[in-house]
Amino acid sequence: MRVFWLQRLTCCGNTHSFLNYESLHILSKRLEFLYHPSLSLKAQEEAVEELIKSGEGIDILIVEGAVRTDEVETRELCKIAKYVIAVGNCAVYGNIPALADETVCGLSYRFKERKGLLDEGFKSRSGMPVINLSGCPAHPEWIVGTMLMLAEGIKPELDQWGRPKEFYSSLTHWGCTRNEYFEWKVEAEELGSKRGCLFYHFGCRGPLSYSSCNTILWNGVSSKTRAGTPCFGCTEYDFPRLGLWETKQYAGIPAELPIGVSKRGYIMLSGIAKMFAPERLKGEG
Amino acid sequence: MKVENLELPRVEGEARLELFWKDGIIEDAKVCIASVRGIERVLVGRHYMDALVITPRVCGICGHAHLIASVKAIEDALGIKPTEKARLVRNITQSLEVLQNHVKWFYLFMMPDFILLEERLRGLYEPFKGERWHSAIRIASRITMGIALFSGQWPHSSYAIPGGITSEPSVKELTSLRQILLELKHFFLSYVVGMEEAEFVKCLKEGSWRKLNGDAGLFLELCHREGLLTLGSSYNRLISGGGLYAPCGYFMKKVVHGRLKVDQIEELNAPSYSGAKPVRYRGMPFETGPLARQLMSGNLMVKSMHREFRDSFAVRVLARVLEVWSIAEAIELWIERLKEVLHEKSTSLGRFPSKATGIGYGIVEAARGTLIHRISVRNGNIQDYAIITPSQWNLGPRCENFLGVAEKAMVGLKSKLHAQMVLRSFDLCSVCTTH
Ligand code: SF4
Ligand code: SF4
Repeated sequence: MRVFWLQRLTCCGNTHSFLNYESLHILSKRLEFLYHPSLSLKAQEEAVEELIKSGEGIDILIVEGAVRTDEVETRELCKIAKYVIAVGNCAVYGNIPALADETVCGLSYRFKERKGLLDEGFKSRSGMPVINLSGCPAHPEWIVGTMLMLAEGIKPELDQWGRPKEFYSSLTHWGCTRNEYFEWKVEAEELGSKRGCLFYHFGCRGPLSYSSCNTILWNGVSSKTRAGTPCFGCTEYDFPRLGLWETKQYAGIPAELPIGVSKRGYIMLSGIAKMFAPERLKGEG
Repeated sequence: MKVENLELPRVEGEARLELFWKDGIIEDAKVCIASVRGIERVLVGRHYMDALVITPRVCGICGHAHLIASVKAIEDALGIKPTEKARLVRNITQSLEVLQNHVKWFYLFMMPDFILLEERLRGLYEPFKGERWHSAIRIASRITMGIALFSGQWPHSSYAIPGGITSEPSVKELTSLRQILLELKHFFLSYVVGMEEAEFVKCLKEGSWRKLNGDAGLFLELCHREGLLTLGSSYNRLISGGGLYAPCGYFMKKVVHGRLKVDQIEELNAPSYSGAKPVRYRGMPFETGPLARQLMSGNLMVKSMHREFRDSFAVRVLARVLEVWSIAEAIELWIERLKEVLHEKSTSLGRFPSKATGIGYGIVEAARGTLIHRISVRNGNIQDYAIITPSQWNLGPRCENFLGVAEKAMVGLKSKLHAQMVLRSFDLCSVCTTH
């Protein structure tokens, strides 16, 4: 598989996330990296020229960073690629650069609207739409995992945002070590502790965000919630929302409830859970 | 006069270099950095805590430095102090980020250039293929694992909060980190300098940089052959904001220790060709980064090299490489102290105040040098946010009186490749420069 990596308006975070992949040396025997802006010997102009001359096309085009609505070269490269992968929230939704500039967007989306660089019906040479790997940044296992699926001839099944279900069908909440606190409604009253759930006071988006951060750990060892930081929902279109560390509440009830939970159910269950919460979960312990 | 417009590969982000030639010599050089993402603007009107999530996104390789600068600025504005435990943990993670940067920069960004001079080096440093290229990435990713042990993830964690940190590390994390540091030291001794520890420490004490083996030795040999030991000097004025293990101060004819006076730092308007604003200290351009820090902390190898070749290409590069060792040593001391205060609370302020007013500065040493954040908060909301990045000092454009630091360093060179290498020796980061 011939891989071509492009960077547009980006912090290069996905590149460095990718470089954390454990066995890059074996990976680069399986995939041929034609070009990467931070790593290759040659300059992009030269690489693109060589690519066009060779006539061989690209198997996987990776776009990192947000794009401008009028980018001709990026669009052309998308057309000659067998698969196009948008890696990172900027490339998927526009993210931070799009907040500051109206002409900036992702490949398919501008936040939740389908107003990206490519037409709505865009299909790469394989017939697949853009494969979106959201996240700020995307996890190396999601990036490499997707490339490997393609290399094995497997077309990943995508969700409504064009993200591989393999990595985006579970919530950050799943696998969070604070889950038992969530169940019994034992809230962290302070930051800086392993105990308590961060949903109620500290804006944790774990029950509202699709990502596998707590099941495929970061750098092999941890995750935001494991380090006591709330999930900020960086795999979703509305990242970064306003007031990232606070839970908006109406009459003491979180304004947004976990996906699939009704308000009535929440009120009933949380009252009971709180009342019967095991002693060992309460206090400093 | 011939004008040449080059696109630069292997930098963080996008940058172009314009070279003005006369009789085979570079008469003038412009570093052009175009893309601005407008992060400072995105912050205005938000709650100050949001800065801890957004500013790391300025840069994917030194995001942690931005996080720490941000949290320090907030603490300064709110008049809060972190617990000692938190301060030590932050020192450690911030330094680890510098370490992974240095390793990647030397092996992934810098050394591949030499392949263009000597084909035989391909086996070692060729991107995606070279043997050393791969071992460098492996050790760099071990180092980032060390960061994640405390911060949850790298890149882009937001675990530093006013008063401390969100995590609650235990001895388990400390012992894993010790193991990672030993691996790094092993990498450094066997590959980077090619010496036993005792021998290296002796050389360090004597300042005998000529004895270095390994990739650093090879680097010096190549520089010698290419004339790069003396080429690529700029103003020879260097500045460091202090913190971590190097004291604050500047070099101008001699080392002067002391506080950095923020009121004497000035951001000028950007000229047409660059999105970055020039930064001046007391009206003058200064270079920031490992060379400045190593001079401040008195690294004898760097000092003796600097005495001989000033702020040349080779000295600048070697300072960064040798800093790896100094930082690893500093981290070990912090670990020892941390063991004693591990029982402390992670934060002095479990709940941050939702409303607060004040102005604060956060000054930290990032991999590439002094990074400054300035926040102004009113009623909990950000009124104004300003960031001065290390790359702005080094790669920022000219003003009426002075060329930019990197621009000056390229004047007088005779080869296009040398110009690119000299520029890259500043650890070029365009994403930071413009943010
Ligand atoms: S999505 Fe986040 S990690 Fe990716 S480029 Fe944008 S800011 Fe950086
Ligand atoms: S901290 Fe967040 S992810 Fe973890 S259990 Fe609570 S709500 Fe879920």
